Parts: sequence; C-alpha cells; structure tokens
Amino acid sequence: MGTHTAQPQRARLRRYATSYAMLLPFLALFLAFLVWPLANSLFLSFTDFDGITPARLTGLENFGNLLFEDDRFRHALGNTFIYVLASVVIGTLLSLGLALAFSGSSWPHRIMRTIFFLPSVTSSIALMLMWKWIFFPSDVGLANTVVGWLGGSTVQWLATPSLTIPILVLMSVWGGMGYGMVLYVAGLNTIPGEYYEAARIDGATAWQQFRSITLPLLRPVTTYVVVTGLIGAFQIFEAVYIVFRGTNSVGGVLDSGLMIVPYLYDQGFTHFQLGYASAIAWVLFAIIFVISMINLRLGRAMKEL
Amino acid sequence: MTTAPAPTRPRASFDAGEPERDERRRKRRGHLLRLPFYLLALTMIAPFYWMLISVFKTPTELNRHPPSFVPGSPTLNNFYDPDWSATQINPGHLQGVFQRFQVDFGFGRFMFNSLIITIAITVGSLLIASLAAYVIAKHEIKGRRVIFIMIIASMMIPWQTTLIPNYVIMRNLGWLDSYAGYIVPALAKAFVLFFLVQFLQSIPNELIQAARVDGAGEWRIWWQIVLPLLRPALAAMSIFIVLAEWNNFLWPLIIVQSDEMANVPVALARLSSYFGGAQHYGTIMAAGFLASLPTVIFFLVFQRYFTRGIVLSGVKG
Repeated sequence: MGTHTAQPQRARLRRYATSYAMLLPFLALFLAFLVWPLANSLFLSFTDFDGITPARLTGLENFGNLLFEDDRFRHALGNTFIYVLASVVIGTLLSLGLALAFSGSSWPHRIMRTIFFLPSVTSSIALMLMWKWIFFPSDVGLANTVVGWLGGSTVQWLATPSLTIPILVLMSVWGGMGYGMVLYVAGLNTIPGEYYEAARIDGATAWQQFRSITLPLLRPVTTYVVVTGLIGAFQIFEAVYIVFRGTNSVGGVLDSGLMIVPYLYDQGFTHFQLGYASAIAWVLFAIIFVISMINLRLGRAMKEL
Repeated sequence: MTTAPAPTRPRASFDAGEPERDERRRKRRGHLLRLPFYLLALTMIAPFYWMLISVFKTPTELNRHPPSFVPGSPTLNNFYDPDWSATQINPGHLQGVFQRFQVDFGFGRFMFNSLIITIAITVGSLLIASLAAYVIAKHEIKGRRVIFIMIIASMMIPWQTTLIPNYVIMRNLGWLDSYAGYIVPALAKAFVLFFLVQFLQSIPNELIQAARVDGAGEWRIWWQIVLPLLRPALAAMSIFIVLAEWNNFLWPLIIVQSDEMANVPVALARLSSYFGGAQHYGTIMAAGFLASLPTVIFFLVFQRYFTRGIVLSGVKG
C-alpha cells in the first residue's frame, strides 16, 4: 500500500490508532476469555484448587494421580479411545458411501441428502432424549418392540455395560454421517468428469476408477472429515450426560460410558476438584494437540509428494 | 443442444461405469448398490417418526404395549393440558411442556432466552470479528502477523480447557445465571476471525483504496464497504454460530442455576431428569420438538447456504 509513505507522520499515527482501536474489542475479549483462562487453567492443574480455599501448589501430583493412580480416569481414557475409533471409522465410511450413492442433483438424491443431514440441524439434546425414549427399558420402547418382533426378550439397553459404547457409537454415527456426506459430495463434484471418461476408454472397471481416481482425489476431504471427526469425538459429553448419567455417576452403570469430558465435569462440578479437573482438561488438550500436529505434518508431507 | 441421447455424465458415484456395458445394466447396478443406503434412510426416518408420534400421544397410550404407530386419539395436551390441575389429581392428565416449569410463560421463557442469546452472540461476534479481520487483512500495522498466528494457534485448543477458569471468572464477576455470562465469553470466536481474514485476503484492495482516496474514514470503510463485501462469508459463519449457540449445553449447564435463566437445552435436560416414566415422554418429546423447530425451519429455508457454508469453511479451514 504505497499511499502510506506519502502521508504525513501524524495522519499515519492516527490511522495506526484507528487500526488498533478496531482490533481492540476482539483482542480484549480473546485475551480475557481465552488466553488468560488458558494460562490460568495450566496453573490450576498444578494445584489442589477446590473453588473456595485459595489454590495451593501441589506440583505434578494431579498428573501423577491421573496417569498412574486414578482407575476411573484410565477407564474414561480407554472408553474414549474405543468410542472415538469406532465412531470415526464407521462414520467416515458411511459418509463416503452416502456421498457416492446420492451425489446427484435429481430430486430423489436431494431428498436423501436432506434426510441424512436432518440430525445436524436438530437440537442435539432433543435427539439424545429421543434415543433415551427409544431405548426405554420396558417393552413400551421402540428398540424393545423391534426386539420383540424378532422374538427376543426385553433388553435393559441403557443399564447393560457392554451395550453402552455401541449405543454411543450408534448415536454418533447416526447423527454425524450426513455432515460428512455433504463434505464428500462437494469433493466428488470437483472431480472432472473427463478423468472417468478417459479411464473408461482405457478399459478401467468401476472399481479401478474408484480406487485410482475417486479415492486419491478425495484425500483432502477424507483428511478433513477424519480430523474434525476425531477432535469432535474426543470431546463427547452430551450423549453420556443425557442418556447414561445415573443418580450417583455421570458415566452410567459401572462407568461404562465414562469419557474424558464427562469425567472432567464430574470432578470439577460435582466434586469441585477444580485443580484436578484442570489437569484432566490439559490431558484432553494434549490429545487434541497431537492430532492437530499429525494433521499438519500429514498435510505438509502430502504436498511434498 | 446436441440431439443424441447423451449418456449420463460420467461421475464419481455408483453410476461410474465399465466399458462395453450397456447403460441399462449400469443403471441396474447403481440401484443395487444404492439399496442399502435407501434402507439406511429408513433408519434415519424411524427415530424421527417415533419422536413425532409421541408428541401427540396421551399418557395412557405412551404406556401401551405394543406401542401404537399412529396416535390413537391425537392430542395437543403434551404442550398444554387444560384438564390438568395442580391441586387435584385428574387421571390420564399430566402437565404439558408449558406447565412443567414454575416460571412465567413456561417453556416459552427458555425459547426466549435461547433466542436472545443466539442473536446477541451471532451479531456481536460477527461485528467484532469483521472489524478485527479488516485490520488484519488490509492494514499494515505492527504485530498483526503475531496476532493472527496466535489466533490460528488457539483454534487447536479444545475449549473445555478454559472451562474452569472461565467459570471462576463468571463467579467473581457475578455473571453466573445472567445473560452476560452466556454472551460475553462467547463473543471472540477465533474460527470466525480466521475465516473472515481468509475471505478478505481474496478480495482486491482497489475498492478500499478508492474509498480512502475519497476521504472516507476507516470505520466508514468497514461499515459501508467491508461488511457488504463480506456478506457471503458472514452468512456462512452465522449458520455455524446460530446452530452452535442454539444447541449450546455444557457452558449453560455450568453457569445457570435458576429456572428463569435456563436456555432450551438446559431446560430439556432438566425436564428429563425430573420426570422419567414412559407417560412423561409425550411432554419430553414435545419439548424436543419445540427445541428443534427453529433450527430445522432455518435449515429448510436456507438449505442452499447451509451446504455452501459447510463446504466453504471445510475447504478453507
């Protein structure tokens, strides 16, 4: 911007002042409610802060407890990893399948896309309550009615520990695959039709076309869907809290649905172990940071290829 | 237009074809491969249908086995039951959604809260982010790179990390249980700023320069030139913000204590933790229906912008 140099010093200073003034509202709020809390939470994670008495430094005790002593946390971590892996893998595959099936612009395809996208715009808590009602423990519920048709007997869906994670994965995949589908459809529509034409002339089968044209060209979309899926899945809270929370535990029967954020909530806001809960938050931070870094690395490596 | 019956445009889908095969066989295979996904669509519709019919069932019907799949005597009592009374038991009658909470206007109060909060956060965050984005993208000032990198880096942070200190801040400011507690901490959204900066960088400087030459101040340039230029980006972002704020749950759960200040998701959660029996699910589903209605209508009206917004932010983000 060459005009700057021509301006007298004072006008430039005033422009500077205006620029900073325009930046100020965002920056002030950003510092007050993100940067400062972040630093504060790091500090609290090394203390025994309980929300009332002043925080006392306890060194690495919180992290030591979390990683080596606390069975509930280890359980939560294990549950979260299983849930994340299952929901992201199944969700991504179905998103891709849906996009391949309904990428057209004809009205049946558009209606299908709308149907699959609907959960993304429905109140998430309402959906959780809907599942709670579907998996009602007696035979008046929908799931048990279907089981009844198939000749089975009533299942205590939400009170059977081995069913907890599968149900959470089901809810996540059901609610999320339409969103991935939209991204994949956009990706598919950027692939030039000529590529397929050429492949067809060369005698490539449909499967070969999919393997050597569609999949590689969709790789950026896949990366995006997987990475955002991973980050979102690690932060699961509502499904556990609404559907599985019992009277004395957030994590459902035998903590079978205990995950990182529900455990953070439990420690922080039912037991008021705010220091300990901050340490849990930093473990979550570390996990998501690693995923972001792998993503950056992968992105760079792929550009160099 | 060519007259030959053009074969369907080759594309990356189940219609992708093999050579030497006639169109008919290819189409048949496409349908065959699609079949499981049509069945999957049924499993999408069934839960919604179950939710919807429950809204119109009576308490007796909700407890019936086997359940009915068309409401026997459709009723609106799950919203408001005129025959229910707080003082005497009237068999077969329960409070509707609007009678469950001891606050003025019942559930309407929570819809109102959510509406106010969503609008305030959407408008407020877009205004302050567009101001900052204009400076970062178009002003040559010291430190803008550092600021921008800091904001990008912050996008990698799970927001739950700041949950506890922000709770303490709200408590110290006396903002628990207030609109301020909902709105103010939610205004500075890094991903919005990032997106707007990227969008502005792709816009040439000429218009802004011309306005400067004409003597327009920076604030006026922002209001009269930058904001209109940003309109598509603002539309895309507002969709994300509206959906996220309307459905926001964990933060309100922590800062809200009274019934008066609950937003819709918190009210829904409370509704279901107070009442658990099958007969109550008519009311609970009615509340869920009301909670979903605004965003679903918003989606159906602006459907085109939704997909475009998702794709745009996905491509750039």
